[in-house]
Amino acid sequence: MSLAAEAFVSQIAAAEPWPENAILYQPLREDQILLSDCASSLAVQAYLRMLGLPVRVQCRANAEYMSPSGKVPFIHVGNQVVSELGPIVQFTRAKGHSLSDGLDDVQRAEMKAYMELVNNMLLTAELYIQWCDENTAAEITRPRYSSPYSWPLNHILAYQKQWEVRRKMSAIGWAGKTLEQVYEDVSQCCQALSQRLGTQPFFFNKQPTELDALVFGHLFTILTTRLTTDELSEKIKSYSNLLSFCRRIEQTYFESQDRDSQLGASDYSKGPSLM
Amino acid sequence: MAAPMELYCWKGDYGLPSVDVDCLTVLAYAKFAGAPLKVHKITNPWRSPTGTLPALRTKEEGSLSQPSKIIIQLRKQKYNADYDLSAKEGADTLAFVSLLEEKLLPALIYTQWVDAKNYVDVTRRWYAENTSFPLNFLLPGRMHSRQMERLRLIRGDAVLEPEEQLEKELYQDALECMTLLSQRLGSHKFFFGDSPSSLDAYVFGHLVPLLKIKLPNAKLQQHLNSLENLTQFCSNILLLYFPSDSREAQSRKAPVHTDGGGDFNNEPHKRRNQILSVLFAVAAMLGYAVLSGIVTIQSSRSELGEPQREDRDEHDDEEEEE
Repeated sequence: MSLAAEAFVSQIAAAEPWPENAILYQPLREDQILLSDCASSLAVQAYLRMLGLPVRVQCRANAEYMSPSGKVPFIHVGNQVVSELGPIVQFTRAKGHSLSDGLDDVQRAEMKAYMELVNNMLLTAELYIQWCDENTAAEITRPRYSSPYSWPLNHILAYQKQWEVRRKMSAIGWAGKTLEQVYEDVSQCCQALSQRLGTQPFFFNKQPTELDALVFGHLFTILTTRLTTDELSEKIKSYSNLLSFCRRIEQTYFESQDRDSQLGASDYSKGPSLM
Repeated sequence: MAAPMELYCWKGDYGLPSVDVDCLTVLAYAKFAGAPLKVHKITNPWRSPTGTLPALRTKEEGSLSQPSKIIIQLRKQKYNADYDLSAKEGADTLAFVSLLEEKLLPALIYTQWVDAKNYVDVTRRWYAENTSFPLNFLLPGRMHSRQMERLRLIRGDAVLEPEEQLEKELYQDALECMTLLSQRLGSHKFFFGDSPSSLDAYVFGHLVPLLKIKLPNAKLQQHLNSLENLTQFCSNILLLYFPSDSREAQSRKAPVHTDGGGDFNNEPHKRRNQILSVLFAVAAMLGYAVLSGIVTIQSSRSELGEPQREDRDEHDDEEEEE
């Protein structure tokens, strides 16, 4: 798309208000979705809820192939389709909804940096554990990932994906790591987040930002997902301020909103609760 | 005190202590922490103990090659540039290093290795001119395809998008990243207080090649040049910690010990050797033609070719085989 065309589209986006029938697509919640996709999806949902923008969650077995970038989740708003948290944040800002307008320049730089920390370490660690730890891959990841497909496509797709993720790990220098080292990295990342959060209710004091949504999405998903061992969630549980941070966001943006608006069970996609 | 650890790096040029991002990061960190390293600046990655550069050879842990591992190893030896940082500053370091790796690094790879004009005119040329004989045909191409693959995997695409689209996306992220760094640095000398830390080493390593290596397609450079505090930050470090490299770009002397092998002794003469070998070949062919009587020349001319032949014989032998 040329720059001019893009500017035109973003003007249209700005002109149209947020519609009532926005839809978020993700893989099947019960049988298919993986830890990392679930975390990204929850982060987007938390972000939209913080902005107060309504979105309906739809589960599709082929969500990954529907998405324009090949990554889930993605939202369908009006006549536009946007995938992943970063572009969705830009998209909502074009429509005049933003969580980070109150920050000064340095804070905004720090917010972006911490978001990349989560992507660089937590998300990569999730992918590593899912696909590179053979126990997890054989017992959970491959069966779940390929659940909608019949033989032989299920094996082909699952191994293809595994191969791709492993090559990515070697490209970013993670291939030589042991599971222990990955847990150590997660721990280091959580320590950094915990230090940054301190005793504040949100990362940048009173107001939530997209960073809070992203951190919540990942930590909450790790805490509530059963893997072959619970070592990953144990790493997070040793940081009490992160735990109470997750509970606070869950209560403020998921439970109370759901009670108020009497949303049906099909719209409630967060899964199990922390309580 | 045990013998110093040995660090293997790509050699420097353009007034930089090394041309490679990772090598620059490690070199800067070692300087900041005051680690006494024996530095080998080489142009042949096969000579490094791990087969890649940079590499640190240690007694206890074998050889390491990722910058983060090398920095951790130096830290274990009590060479810690982050000693004075608070826990929160340590967290910020981790976050900003992630920002660099996620947002700036892909654009750096793109601008050096994927952008066709930059790659052909500058990057490939540099590696081809600076590596020694059979490797100079092999290495640039191999590095090129490896970097393309790395970029594709980092982005998670099935195939790399067409150049324009890819460039726009990568540069958008990279420009934003530089602006954020500039805002974070503000008017300070270093990112945390008055002494440099590992974050300063990472930022320096990622930005200074852009500043010094002139590329035909220079969008990233232009943006970096507009951020005065970042350019100031890089040239300060270059001046304070690598004075001998920044003073004269053309000087080939490394600041610390170099292993003094044949690696760059013959380098400045390479072009001359090529010309001489062509001349020699032409002389030999003419000589043969004359001697075997294919061409007949007046006897007064044929003496010209003869004397040249003897003094060039020895060092032109291998080129002839090309």
